Amino acid sequence: MIADLANAGASPVLEQMMRFTAQRQRLLAHNVANMDTPDFVPLDVSPQSFQAALRQAVNARRASGKLDAGEVATFTTREVERVGNGELRLRAGTSSGNVLYHDRNNRDFEGMMQDLAENGMAFRVASDLLRREMDVLRVAISQRV
Amino acid sequence: MFGLLDISTSGMIAQRTRLTAISANLANRNSTMPDGTPYRAKRVFFTPGNPNAATSDGQRLGVHVSTIEDDRSPFNLRWDPDHPRAIKSGQQAGYVLESNVNSVTEQMNAMQATRAYEANAAAAEATRSMVNQALRMLA
Repeated sequence: MIADLANAGASPVLEQMMRFTAQRQRLLAHNVANMDTPDFVPLDVSPQSFQAALRQAVNARRASGKLDAGEVATFTTREVERVGNGELRLRAGTSSGNVLYHDRNNRDFEGMMQDLAENGMAFRVASDLLRREMDVLRVAISQRV
Repeated sequence: MFGLLDISTSGMIAQRTRLTAISANLANRNSTMPDGTPYRAKRVFFTPGNPNAATSDGQRLGVHVSTIEDDRSPFNLRWDPDHPRAIKSGQQAGYVLESNVNSVTEQMNAMQATRAYEANAAAAEATRSMVNQALRMLA
């Protein structure tokens, strides 16, 4: 019953989104912290590939046809792995693209800050929407009891 | 999620250490070491990873100061034959050895370190707002 409530609607998808952005924030903060480290190779995962995998899982969930379709099916991509209790583990690859500086660090300062802002916004959207879902649940519960 | 702030904090600590070394370089640009040689500029080197983090996962991320080394570039020479420490003989006779601190380089490094510190502070701020968002969901 509780699991059905918690997995109603878009909640499980939003939860995955929050888990992913929280994990990705670690990598982005790591890249910012190592801005001046010689030979440093920035780490990142692609949010696009995560979202593509999530979309597939959502479509599969929708295709099951049940109204309370429950949790999003487990999926593992090249970069994202789901371990016990729904936790996401990221296998970060190296992001390339910018020129190599003299200290053999290919930092892309603006790109890092943009990623940081976008990641924060994605988390904000997911958490705001999830809070709405929770509010709806709370209203429903308070009417019942 | 709380270990997240450690990463940005490690970056801020590393940049502050670098700024301390820059201040020391600027303060000591006219100093002489006890053995009579001029002061050599100190350079701070960073390495990824944070050995002070609580979890093994946290130790993998972040940054820390690996070594602080002397700048091996040659000392500056100043023409001053009457100086008590002027070189007495040889090709450089009449010159005084001075520290290899270049104040323009140090200024640039200081600016870079300050900006990097600010970037880490901004990352910490972003993380903080994310934690706040997550907490607000409970309230």
